[in-house]
Amino acid sequence: MRTFTREELRKHRGQNGAPVYFAYKGKVYDASASWHWRKGKHQVIHEAGQDLTEALASAPHGEDLLARLPVIGVLVD
Amino acid sequence: MAKVAREMVEKAGVNVDELLELLVNNAAAELTTFYYYTILRVNLIGIEGEGVKAIAEDARIEDRNHFEALVPRIYELGGKLPDDMKAFHDCSACPPAKLPKDPTDVKALLSVLLEAERCAVRGYTHICNITAGKDHRTYDLALAILHEEIEHEAWFSEFLGEGPSGHFGRRTPGESPFVSKFLHP
Repeated sequence: MRTFTREELRKHRGQNGAPVYFAYKGKVYDASASWHWRKGKHQVIHEAGQDLTEALASAPHGEDLLARLPVIGVLVD
Repeated sequence: MAKVAREMVEKAGVNVDELLELLVNNAAAELTTFYYYTILRVNLIGIEGEGVKAIAEDARIEDRNHFEALVPRIYELGGKLPDDMKAFHDCSACPPAKLPKDPTDVKALLSVLLEAERCAVRGYTHICNITAGKDHRTYDLALAILHEEIEHEAWFSEFLGEGPSGHFGRRTPGESPFVSKFLHP
């Protein structure tokens, strides 16, 4: 599986045709095809290209929804 | 715009521009849902579809009511609806509730309806979370809509056999028992 540093992940924010990726609990998800991640943003305030593990704690949904997205890599420090 | 009303919300620490974007996106979800539910509703035919028609119609009209109720609050806070309706459609907080490939598959139609309501429940829960104790009017409005979206979810979930909704149905289509106080006759 592909590895991403945080800096590499930041390049995938859905801008200028880049894919939309984010990390959660060490896995990198591809949200490019998701309606909820158009233009690299989710619910106005969450931006792609970063580790959203802490953000999910205050989300109105659990991690089960992430099962709808393909895992395409792992986040490495 | 209600200048002081907006100031109160800002003073309470809410990012009003972000809140407005959420309200506009959810208003878009309501109006597009009303449109797509119209198509779903007319395709609920046959013996199986007949049983779902009334509940789909209740949800359809109430989602239109939600759009109507959101619009004044958007403008009160200094926001606006997009000038272009296509852009409005595309900023919807929820995916389009499109007719399934097989329009005679009532279970598939119900699944589309259910997923749309679940998206709405999450969306208004989020708005309630960020406005609770800070923006009393938007919270009251979002909570009212949330009550109805939860009921919509429960109805469709019941039809799919996931468990009882505990509800006894509306007296009239589009009754909006919670949101009606925000609607002007």
